[in-house]
Amino acid sequence: MLFNSYAFIFVFLPIALAGYFSINHFKRITLGKCWLIGASLYFYTYFSYKNLPILLFSLCMNYILGSLLHQDLKWISKLNLFRFGLFLNIGLLSFFKFSGFLLPLGLSFFTLQQVAFLIDSYEGLTEKKGFIDYAFFVSFFPTLISGPIVHYQHLIPQIESIDNKRFNLNQFSAGIFIFCLGLTKKVLISEAFAGWAKTGFDEALSLDLLAAWKTSLSYTFQLYYDFSGYTDMAIGIGYMFNVKIPQNFNSPFRSKSIIEFWSRWHMTLSQFINTYLFTPIVRAMPKINFRNTMFATFIAMFIAGIWHGAGWTFVAYGVLHGSALVVNHIWKKRKKKLPPGLAWFLTFNFVNITFIVFRAKTLSEAWKVLKGMLGFSGVIIPKVIIKSVGPLKEWGWKMGSYLQPDDYLLMIMLVGAFYALHKLKNSLELEKEFTPNTKVAMACGIAFVFCFFGMNRITEFIYFNF
Amino acid sequence: MTNSEILQNITTIMREVLEIPNLNVTFETSAAEVDEWDSMTHIQIIASIEAKFKVRFALGELQALKNVGDMIGLIEKKLSK
Repeated sequence: MLFNSYAFIFVFLPIALAGYFSINHFKRITLGKCWLIGASLYFYTYFSYKNLPILLFSLCMNYILGSLLHQDLKWISKLNLFRFGLFLNIGLLSFFKFSGFLLPLGLSFFTLQQVAFLIDSYEGLTEKKGFIDYAFFVSFFPTLISGPIVHYQHLIPQIESIDNKRFNLNQFSAGIFIFCLGLTKKVLISEAFAGWAKTGFDEALSLDLLAAWKTSLSYTFQLYYDFSGYTDMAIGIGYMFNVKIPQNFNSPFRSKSIIEFWSRWHMTLSQFINTYLFTPIVRAMPKINFRNTMFATFIAMFIAGIWHGAGWTFVAYGVLHGSALVVNHIWKKRKKKLPPGLAWFLTFNFVNITFIVFRAKTLSEAWKVLKGMLGFSGVIIPKVIIKSVGPLKEWGWKMGSYLQPDDYLLMIMLVGAFYALHKLKNSLELEKEFTPNTKVAMACGIAFVFCFFGMNRITEFIYFNF
Repeated sequence: MTNSEILQNITTIMREVLEIPNLNVTFETSAAEVDEWDSMTHIQIIASIEAKFKVRFALGELQALKNVGDMIGLIEKKLSK
């Protein structure tokens, strides 16, 4: 099911909420949890049942592994059991990622959450709970398909708390506010950019300078507003159920270095990579020095790249970001600072270019866009401008058609997006200082009406593919 | 070992790893305020703390550390065991 659909907003969510709080009202705590697990499974199987066995298999397998890790067993050492568990999870994920079968919805995310659970259980950080609590943790529908990655120790106390079982109007209104914010990002902003990105990537055979920049910037903003919109919606729904879900984004495009970018972009994934991938790699090395940590950084980013999928484009994405982080660390070690404007410019453009590789289906498709951006596929100037720069024709620049309404819209959207990213408060800040009042309610209402009419097209979230 | 002794030791370690000789470290100091304190120097700080106090942090514990105060709390907990 999609957050941005009428069926979700007007039927599923109200029923799920009303059922959950009514059951809890009569102190049937366990039944309330079961209700939400049932709702989550319905949400998951709304389009198709064929992924359900894989979700249930992974859930039961990890519950059993976790339970065994909580006991002292004679027939197998904890370490071997833990290794076996990791092997099963990574095996299951890799099988679907690399065998060419269709990737089961959400597998990448619920596998990561459960791998973290196994590691934490092995290290004695998790408390043993029953199957229902575990199933609640894994299946919780706001985060099931595309994160944010929530940790067992973080979620369980929240669903245990009796206070959280009562409908809370303050939390609920905060939830509606953040949900509307995310819905607006997805339906009104990301969807508009999506059209331009699709034309450039999937339809055009070659892109001139302006068309290529239009394509690549559109995709960068489409991806950001899609994923951060999804995340805001998930967090908003979490609020409605009195569950706090961590943020994934903190204005990533304000970053002035790649190191900073990764502390602001898809934060729960980068924390996961840092904690459960980078740190053990470094610890496994004989000595912690600059060279070894750089090697670990590169390997961790490489793995993060191919976690997104099989294919050379994701290998390239991981390698590019891994290398950039290494270069960034070497530069930082020399304690020389770039002027902030230049640092931002370099960071943004690097990220923008790597998103081309991320979006393209093949490396040659990525090259098509990049080549265009570098001006190798010709330059076509809109008629309105060429009058004043006539001599440019001598350089082989061509004259295109007059600017269309669509071009003006794109320009407004791009300027608006840059402005919003730099000057407006982000979801994290807005969430912190939220107070329910008439102004906020009006803004949410207006945004919702626009989204309501924009929602007639069913569009998936980009990260459903990973 | 008292809180302030632990803080003193952490200060020494952080000044050395981050290469800032006069760095002022308090309970509230967090990675967000110190530019040099990133994922790479963090792992060096953690390794030095582990060696100094003869403790071992679990991976999941590292993620929950938001500032120096959290670190001190965790070290105290480990030392009292």
